[in-house]
Amino acid sequence: MDLATIGGQLLGTIPLGDIVLYLTPFNLFMFGGTLAFTTLIAISRTETQVEAEFGTLKDKEVKVNLEEFKIRRFLAIVCGLATAGAMITGDLFNFTLFVTLIGIVNIGIVSAVRQVDVLNAAFQYGLIAMMASLPLFGGAAVLLASTGTLSLLEIVKLPYVTSMMTFGSLLLLMGIIGETGVAPFYATKAEMFRTPGSPFILIIHLSSLLVIVRAIEVLLIINKPF
Amino acid sequence: MIVPVQVPELVVSLYPVAIWVGIITGLIGLLGISFQKNDLSVLILTDIVGVAMLIFVAGVATDLAEALILPGLVVELAEIMAISEILLSREIRKNNISGEDLVPTALPLNMEILKTAPTFIAVVLIAYGVFLSGFTGGVIAGGGILFYILSKSARGLPVELFEGLAGASGIAWVFWIVGFLLFFVGPPFWLLGLMLAAFGILIKVASKVGLIGILTREEFKKE
Repeated sequence: MDLATIGGQLLGTIPLGDIVLYLTPFNLFMFGGTLAFTTLIAISRTETQVEAEFGTLKDKEVKVNLEEFKIRRFLAIVCGLATAGAMITGDLFNFTLFVTLIGIVNIGIVSAVRQVDVLNAAFQYGLIAMMASLPLFGGAAVLLASTGTLSLLEIVKLPYVTSMMTFGSLLLLMGIIGETGVAPFYATKAEMFRTPGSPFILIIHLSSLLVIVRAIEVLLIINKPF
Repeated sequence: MIVPVQVPELVVSLYPVAIWVGIITGLIGLLGISFQKNDLSVLILTDIVGVAMLIFVAGVATDLAEALILPGLVVELAEIMAISEILLSREIRKNNISGEDLVPTALPLNMEILKTAPTFIAVVLIAYGVFLSGFTGGVIAGGGILFYILSKSARGLPVELFEGLAGASGIAWVFWIVGFLLFFVGPPFWLLGLMLAAFGILIKVASKVGLIGILTREEFKKE
């Protein structure tokens, strides 16, 4: 198996010292898509939520003030760039770092809200993200110990798959699931979406979707099932 | 074989032990979290899981593993700070209290040990840091300065020392860079270069950590 099995065809590599990026149509499409979405977020304005008031016919507008808006936009852009980096990197170490960066920034985006419910959800999500750093970094370390390298280009050349490599990649998957807050931990994240300031909240969702797609590619490269 | 032949068999056989210790530490932390109902205790117990992560990574014991340990530590710190900030602002909003109530106030205690112990511990830490030199020594010496400033400012006492710390930090940074340049420009002077770099980074890191204390003190003054 080589990189072209999943990614279509290998268009080339970008060697930056011992960190080598590789370009496939699969990678490039997700990279470009993330960058385009990040640009859209950077130039857009925040929404205003309208809440119906109980007992009267009046509506209440939930607005985001300018200072909070600026911080949130900045964090959303950082989150978008981290996602784009995780899409294109050819290095397990960088991939791990980008995923943890996404986790921290996601907490940061919702940390400034005033609703107690949302803060509660962000707290639970943050706890899960912190616990998930154990399997995430642990998985990367076990893979490093069992293959001797963290570069995906080197791992794909290895002719064998040991059980320790499978164990490490499963740990890595657990870490990514916890850090991005998908399926089993989704309940805490769904609450976070109710925050006012919509376009920036959406990056939380988009980053986790794209990172999971990329993580599946990484796992297939490590375990070589076909 | 991935492990080079120079590494003794005993060291290699310790790796599975390290993995098991990491798993057991992580399980202890998670068990504690599942029993605990108090949010603050849960946050502190989460740090045990982070320590288990460090055991996992440190078990590999190569320079690449060190490259994973440093970001791991930073990520742990950043996340625990972010989450404690969330916890703080949630409690403030929930109970509708002002933020100042949560800041610790000066204790009206008048005991001899409160005056002497911080100075003694700070001197021991700084002396040990200078003896170690390099990055580790800088962190320990800086911890000593930080401890001194924090223990004084927590009791509301003025701290006049260390005013020129920012300048010293900049000059030490220059020493560090000159030390590195010497390695390439004048290889015969490698010992001088090494010493310049080691003590430059010592003063640099120590003063940086000390600066945190000064900043905290100024925050106290503002309020």
